[in-house]
Amino acid sequence: MLSTLNSLQPRQLLTQILNFALVLSTAFMLWKGLSVATDSPSPIVVVLSGSMEPAFQRGDLLFLWNRGQDTQIGEIVVYNVRGKDIPIVHRVVRRYGGGATPLNLLTKGDNNMADDTELYARGQDYLERSKDIIGSVVGYIPFVGYVTIMLSEHPWLKTVLLGLMGVMVVLQRE
Amino acid sequence: MSAPKISVYSLSDLKNTTDDALPNYLTSLKFQQSHFLADVRLALGYSAVLIAGATFYADFKLGWDATKFWTLWAVVVYFILNGALTYWIWGVEKGKIFTGEFNETLVSIASSVKKHKPVYNLQVRYGKPGEEPRVLKIAAPFTRWFDADGFFVATPFQQWLATEIPPIGEADSKKVVGGGGGGGGGKKEEKVMEARQVKGHADSDKTTREGGARSRNSKKAT
Repeated sequence: MLSTLNSLQPRQLLTQILNFALVLSTAFMLWKGLSVATDSPSPIVVVLSGSMEPAFQRGDLLFLWNRGQDTQIGEIVVYNVRGKDIPIVHRVVRRYGGGATPLNLLTKGDNNMADDTELYARGQDYLERSKDIIGSVVGYIPFVGYVTIMLSEHPWLKTVLLGLMGVMVVLQRE
Repeated sequence: MSAPKISVYSLSDLKNTTDDALPNYLTSLKFQQSHFLADVRLALGYSAVLIAGATFYADFKLGWDATKFWTLWAVVVYFILNGALTYWIWGVEKGKIFTGEFNETLVSIASSVKKHKPVYNLQVRYGKPGEEPRVLKIAAPFTRWFDADGFFVATPFQQWLATEIPPIGEADSKKVVGGGGGGGGGKKEEKVMEARQVKGHADSDKTTREGGARSRNSKKAT
């Protein structure tokens, strides 16, 4: 197998590497393009907990939109807790301010007993719409995101998957 | 590393091996190979990859809010470059495996195969610079230069090229089968076929060995 690589001339070798790099970079740039279009740093997220059942189950794939800033009560939003990089999907139950003053929101999981003040960072009693929210949910596909939960719970799977992809692209012509 | 063994049932193996052998043969004949097409393709591709890499690094270091504006432009430029690359491969390169020059004759050769047909098709353009190039379409089954075990045999392949393509025949007249400068009327064509068969019967063993040695030489020469 490796002898195939050795016998390649520099331009052919560069072409093989390029093919692999293009697969990765195109996937990344499509993601970034979607980010730019939706104005959200993470336009697709996977539900990690059951706190929004029965609306969303673990593994549901959510599509976010972050261009309308005037979020209403009842909308389901995704936010990052300050200092932690874990996205949380919960429903807006109260709004403060808005209009001329910055809009602040209080959220709660449908399946949770209490609202989210306990989840927020220390000293924070509400979410700032413009800072903390990464988007409102506009669509979802049930369950297909479960793969990523598997991948994050068993990190070695990631290495295996990436390695396999790399080997396939480099060794395959056409 | 001599000619590697391939699976004779894999059409892409057959084509790729032959595609690699053709420039090797022509450069060994002192054809000046031009790498312009490949270089432009690599430049387009790697610029795009570089932009994506820079975007990835900036995003990793600075975060989304700081890079939002530039990310938009990076995405736009990336997909423009990617489009240009696709156009270059399908619209300009069109399967060309060799472009070059010999004796002030420009030669470009594009190869193709049809799905599930073990026949190698070449489209050859050649002519003096500034003139309308002559277009030649030739085809031959891969069995002519691959033996049953999947080894590439250089001599019959080179003979085929030298006989069918006038500039190559000019550069390597010893490989032209059937005498003359290659090409010609129907009668000549028949003679060529005969000559090939006779030669094949007389010293097929010798041909194979010679072929193997040659391909090793041509690899070394590049």
